[in-house]
Amino acid sequence: MAITTETATAEVTASPLDLTRRPRIHPDASRSWLRRCLPVVMPHKKAFLGAFSSTLVGIVLQMLIPTALMAGIDGAIVTHKHPLMPYILIIVGLAVGQGVVTYFSRYLLFRAAYDLEFDLRTMMFEHLTRLSQSFYDRVQTGQLISRANSDIRAVQMFLAFAPNISVRFVGFGVAFVIMLTINVPLTFIAIGTLPLVYITGARMRFLMFPISWVVQARTAEVATIVDENVNGARVIKSFAAEQRQVDSLAKAAKRLQWASEKQINIRARYAPIIENLPSAGLGLVLLVGGYFVIHHEMLLGRIVGFDLYVLMLQAPFQLFGMLTMLSQRAAASAGRIFEILDEEPHVTEHPDAVTLADSQGDVVVDGAHFGYNGGATVLDGLSLHLRPGETVALVGRTGSGKTTLSRLLTRAYDVDSGVIRLDGHDVRDLTLASVRNTVGVVTDDPFLFSVSLHDNIAYGRPDASYDEVVAAATAAGAHDFIMALPEGYDTVVGERGYTLSGGQRQRIAIARTLVSNPPVLILDDATSSIDVQVELEIHHALRTLMQGRTTLVIAHRPSTIGLADRVAYMEGGRIVAEGRHTDLLETEPRYAATLAAAQAEDDRNAAARAVAVTGR
Amino acid sequence: MGGGDNVPGLQFGGIPEELAATAEKLTASEPDWSGVHVPFHHPMPSTKRFSLRQLLGAHKPALALSLLLVVAEAAAKQAGPLLTKVGIDRGIARGSMHTLLVIVVIYLITVVLAAVISGLRVSWTGIVGQRLLNDLRVRVFAHLQRLSLDYFTDEKAGRIMTRMTSDIESLNQLLQDGLVNLLVQGLTMIFVTVVLLTLDVKLGLITIFFVFPTMGALTFWYRNRSDTGYDEVRSEIANVLADLSENLAGIRVVTATGRERRNIWQHRSIVKRYRDANLYTAQLNAVYGPGSQLIGGVGQALIVLIGGYFVLHHQLSIGTLTAFVLYLGNFFAPIQQLVQLYGTYQQGQAAVRKLSDLFATVPSVQEAPDATDLPPIRGEIELRGVDFAYSPGVPVLEDISLLIPAGETIALVGPTGAGKSTIAKLVTRFYDPTAGEVLIDGRDLRGVTLESLRRQLGVVPQEPFLFAGSLRDNLAFAKPEASDDEVLAAIDAVGLDDLVSRLPDGLDTYIHERGTSLSAGERQLVALGRAFLAQPRVVVLDEATSNLDLRSERRIEVALDRLVQGRTAVLIAHRLSTAMRADRVAVIDEGRLIELGTHDELVRSEGRYRDMFRTWESSWSSAAS
Repeated sequence: MAITTETATAEVTASPLDLTRRPRIHPDASRSWLRRCLPVVMPHKKAFLGAFSSTLVGIVLQMLIPTALMAGIDGAIVTHKHPLMPYILIIVGLAVGQGVVTYFSRYLLFRAAYDLEFDLRTMMFEHLTRLSQSFYDRVQTGQLISRANSDIRAVQMFLAFAPNISVRFVGFGVAFVIMLTINVPLTFIAIGTLPLVYITGARMRFLMFPISWVVQARTAEVATIVDENVNGARVIKSFAAEQRQVDSLAKAAKRLQWASEKQINIRARYAPIIENLPSAGLGLVLLVGGYFVIHHEMLLGRIVGFDLYVLMLQAPFQLFGMLTMLSQRAAASAGRIFEILDEEPHVTEHPDAVTLADSQGDVVVDGAHFGYNGGATVLDGLSLHLRPGETVALVGRTGSGKTTLSRLLTRAYDVDSGVIRLDGHDVRDLTLASVRNTVGVVTDDPFLFSVSLHDNIAYGRPDASYDEVVAAATAAGAHDFIMALPEGYDTVVGERGYTLSGGQRQRIAIARTLVSNPPVLILDDATSSIDVQVELEIHHALRTLMQGRTTLVIAHRPSTIGLADRVAYMEGGRIVAEGRHTDLLETEPRYAATLAAAQAEDDRNAAARAVAVTGR
Repeated sequence: MGGGDNVPGLQFGGIPEELAATAEKLTASEPDWSGVHVPFHHPMPSTKRFSLRQLLGAHKPALALSLLLVVAEAAAKQAGPLLTKVGIDRGIARGSMHTLLVIVVIYLITVVLAAVISGLRVSWTGIVGQRLLNDLRVRVFAHLQRLSLDYFTDEKAGRIMTRMTSDIESLNQLLQDGLVNLLVQGLTMIFVTVVLLTLDVKLGLITIFFVFPTMGALTFWYRNRSDTGYDEVRSEIANVLADLSENLAGIRVVTATGRERRNIWQHRSIVKRYRDANLYTAQLNAVYGPGSQLIGGVGQALIVLIGGYFVLHHQLSIGTLTAFVLYLGNFFAPIQQLVQLYGTYQQGQAAVRKLSDLFATVPSVQEAPDATDLPPIRGEIELRGVDFAYSPGVPVLEDISLLIPAGETIALVGPTGAGKSTIAKLVTRFYDPTAGEVLIDGRDLRGVTLESLRRQLGVVPQEPFLFAGSLRDNLAFAKPEASDDEVLAAIDAVGLDDLVSRLPDGLDTYIHERGTSLSAGERQLVALGRAFLAQPRVVVLDEATSNLDLRSERRIEVALDRLVQGRTAVLIAHRLSTAMRADRVAVIDEGRLIELGTHDELVRSEGRYRDMFRTWESSWSSAAS
């Protein structure tokens, strides 16, 4: 055993897994799901064929053991014709051979199955990464994860194990032929119960499968109530609603209990039949086989052999039943997976797209129309020109389309009509990578990954030197608080790490964009969650940063707007006024009103902070 | 099943369509559980420590019947090979078809018996187990309701959830499969051993000495390795899912920074580690399964060799030899399962320990045994020399004395951590003061029942919480029996009319905590409406710190004014504009009441409040300029 394990371990480390392979499903959606999966399965052809053939050999060897056994009993013990020892050696030989072959067949099969799962998972991940923002606007991450996990599992299970279960039919065939050559009526009596095993099993699964879903759903019901009570404990206690909550849980628990009992009763009705039917077969073999032995038409050892066959074959018959279940589940799962894989990215790269290198930072938006997923108009013929090196503040009410514009500039979406030009090129004629390298965005709610602060800042340019990272952090006003953390730049943040405040996250995001050194920079409300105080501190840094690049600042604080050379005021999806801040205040009443409203809101926050801070 | 979440885009969840019809048919006979009622009492019912024995002890007669069925089942199942032996030796060997027929009939009867008893056993033990689990679920949940707020704030929500989910699931495993299987397999092994030794001592001993050590060793080897192997698989799949979910959550950044290629590469290497972990367990399984088959095959050969020798020397009947060959396989399942069950048993025990700790947790705020109901109050609140500390030695409130006459609105202001919220929690008796007393209408809160007190209070927490259910259910949370008119009055009072008309099903629209159909402002209005509908004498409100748009702010201000009208109100104010509208303002700092008076009085005096007001005023005027 130890030896086999070692060789196997060596094999694992040596087993080549081609990390560069790029499997795809068949693009023709009218094909059956199995045929669509073929391109993914075919690269594993050899492994699967190896697994099937060794399984086949193993099963044939296994099926020969009872034959050797009954031959031994009859030839040596019942009739004394031959010595016993050779039979024994044959049996041991068969058993050892079967053991070794089955070890390889299982190992090969599992390896093929897991390699297939690897392909399916990475294929899904790659596709998800390729999809455009518009896809993520309409789906929930939770759904995607469940598809990328349990559905892939279900498909993999079927693709990998269904053919192997089918191979067992061959085993059944071998046994059937061996038995027929010995005694035809006894053969049918012996295996006569097996179809009943299959039918009863099918009947049980037909009922068990739905009821176990019900049980699962009701378990979830109970969990939901508990979850609510844990999170809403305060409200429940405040309104003295404990009794009602206990009753609602007691009801959900009763529903769960009822469904579980239903499930148990279905099992209690069918499982004993499935388990005991083969025994009835053994009884009948004893009777009919006994009749033939008594009438000297057969030797006694054959009864033992037939018994062993019945016992051996009952497991595959139960597996055959599983096959239909697996295939139903896999078909449903495959449908759900294809739904994602058939999704095409809306924003795509031209085949002959050009790379924009060393952009001047000249940005032209010309008559841009846009609505999310073809819905309500958000941008309604917007035109704006950002000259190289210029800083423009974009001001407008919530929902006026400011953030949408920033998303169009990075080609998270494409305009419905109109055009966006970088250095005179339509962005749709440029490679996606070069557009995104040229235009850097800092959003109002930045996402940090569960990696170190260093890696978060260097996210867009993993090859950045430590000094570059520190320089970016310093410019963004993040260096000081990072150094105050116990692990400094090595502090792991994000969902599974240290929690930073909104303002701190913001500054990391600014640093992240700075490291990439984009010729065009968009600050989308990026400083709004930073205290006015801190913002003033980093203004100097921001000013340096804006030098030499084109910057679009979406903001409403006068201090931030003050950084800009000019202001573009947006309303109803278009720029309605442009000019210097002070001029606009006088000439454009809507601009002044928007600023005042935003200001009031901001100051209320400041006031709230004042209540909290000044008291000290 | 629950409420249908209508999520645009991809549909997932719920019972698959093809199963729904059968599921419906199966559940058609289900009784109506709407009348289920389990009385809840604040005092703890028993102080006895919870244990597996105690849990099972309550169902002794039912368990005794289970035991009986288990023994009968094991016996009936092992009769087959023995009867085969008798049939061969007495019937076939002697050429008596009649005897053979009789024995086969007996054989078939035992098979039917085994099936029937097995069915009864599965159903009976299952139902007893479910009954037990149901009791336990309700008991754990009731105890959670009993525990005070500090338990819910100190303990992570996820961990509390585990008590009711995976811990009970572990016990379910133990009760449904574990204990019974342990018995069935143990008994089977004993039966087979006894039968083999009775049939032939020598061959019996040889068989046992061959099977036990080899199968035992192989199984132990497998279990030890597969434990670590599967742990590895679990942690690797967790990594795969974590990486996937993080990439999906941060997809904007991934795209914006052009990290696609690199992240795909990274994901590939993570999935590869998962695949390698799987492959390790695959190897173990590839050794274990065929390994036990090998032992079986060699065992059969051994029995035929030695048994055959005995038969040839007339020391053994051919029927007995057959019985040995057939019985051999019956050793395998018990050994394999007993080793597996050890894990189930350990997990079950761990769950029992955790539940036992939970039941031993005493609520920090307890109802006095002689607590009386608080009669309808006028709403006068008094704090008399109140000290409070969450943990000893770290005082949060020190010597606070404050009288709030009935009908007054008082605003508590002060820096974060000053103790404002704690005062509110003492008034609602989420905590008891460490010294001094809190009185309502002159009665110490510790002397009244929790329910009678809280029914007369209306609490609006800082973060409004929505329960899964209709909007109506959420509003009428404090008073489920409220009439439509009452609900509509509350909606009108807090100005939610437009929300009701906007929602697809009006008041019956299904909303839930993580639902996004309600804006932050609307959620707060629902919380206010909830308090309004309760028609409390005293309102305790912790103002939300989150930023709302101006319009929502206005609406909340209006609703709040309506709510506090004619009631005693304690407002924890985060905004000075709120404080300004209160009858009096109490300034709390470092656990002490440092200033108390009307807004105008405090602004005129030389105190902390005036400083705060000035700062606020200047920031306001700078905004206006």
